[in-house]
Amino acid sequence: MEEPPWREEEEEGDGERDEAEPEGALGKSPLQLTAEDVYDISYVMGRELMALGSDPRVTQLQFKIVRVLEMLEALVNEGNLTVEELKLERDNLRKEVEGLRRAGPPASGEVNLGPDKMVVDLTDPNRPRFTLQELRDVLQERNQLKSQLLVVQEELQCYKSGLFSPREGSGGRREKEALVARASNASRNKEEKTIIRKLFSFRSGKP
Amino acid sequence: MAKKTYDLLFKLLLIGDSGVGKTCVLFRFSDDAFNTTFISTIGIDFKIKTVELQGKKIKLQIWDTAGQERFHTITTSYYRGAMGIMLVYDITNGKSFENISKWLRNIDEHANEDVERMLLGNKCDMDDKRVVPKGKGEQIAREHGIRFFETSAKANINIEKAFLTLAEDILRKTPVKEPNSENVDISSGGGVTGWKSKCC
Repeated sequence: MEEPPWREEEEEGDGERDEAEPEGALGKSPLQLTAEDVYDISYVMGRELMALGSDPRVTQLQFKIVRVLEMLEALVNEGNLTVEELKLERDNLRKEVEGLRRAGPPASGEVNLGPDKMVVDLTDPNRPRFTLQELRDVLQERNQLKSQLLVVQEELQCYKSGLFSPREGSGGRREKEALVARASNASRNKEEKTIIRKLFSFRSGKP
Repeated sequence: MAKKTYDLLFKLLLIGDSGVGKTCVLFRFSDDAFNTTFISTIGIDFKIKTVELQGKKIKLQIWDTAGQERFHTITTSYYRGAMGIMLVYDITNGKSFENISKWLRNIDEHANEDVERMLLGNKCDMDDKRVVPKGKGEQIAREHGIRFFETSAKANINIEKAFLTLAEDILRKTPVKEPNSENVDISSGGGVTGWKSKCC
């Protein structure tokens, strides 16, 4: 018999099955039966049939019992062979999987994705969520505000450097106030509809 | 009351691979400063610097583009308004030099035909890490008929010279006329067509 593959099971079995007590084979799980066990069972049953005497009915039953035991032997042998083959195949597949896992961790990350596709982790706070057009709009608005700021700074510099005569000065002052008022109006209007605000509207829950 | 603080407005554009130092080159020119921390430019930014050439006050509006591929659709829309384009590579980065032909193609595709071009090999202070010989930069510039400088934003080498030379080249082919008085228009694509500064 091919012993090695059965070592794990055999070890337990060996402990239970005493060579002197073939009856032990009858107490085994059917899934753990070996051909050896079947022979033990045959021995036990043959002994008991003999004890029953030479009644022709017993003889008749004996033929059937032998036939059943032969069938059991064939099944056990076949079953054990199959299990052995399956275990070999399982071990091979296990090795193959391990090899694949080791060889291509990135490949396993992008399973079943076509080309030009990307996986987004929705729990990543830094995940991409704005479109290129939105970025373009924000940048345009930023640059526009920046250029306006530069113009305003330039004007302010002119006022500061005292380029006004005292008479002009008062007029300039009034104009400056008007300018400030205009600017704050503009910024208030702007505030309601800046793109940045729109983009972050989900925070305040407003549409 | 509305009086301009400059005579001419030139719009310049900086392009080139990510990390070659476009923003640092511009920062050196506009603020005479240098920062070693690398912050990738998001899309497009600009700075203003007024210079004086041949007795004329020239306002330079310099657009700084992101070199990263993902911003290209945004940055290329700014080529059209540029009068001068500086193409920057990094002398310690061979790939950035190889990509020059790609950037030149971008200029052909998206910029005005008469745009003034210039090639800059930046980081020339790092000679120990140089992989692009100066001669190769000069050669490719000659082949395309454009000016070439090796620069260092960090060591302040040739930065001002490069910008002033580019501005001079643009000034040379600018017809002498009064600056137009259109309003500020920072729309993408068209870029800024003129600056109106009401002042004093």
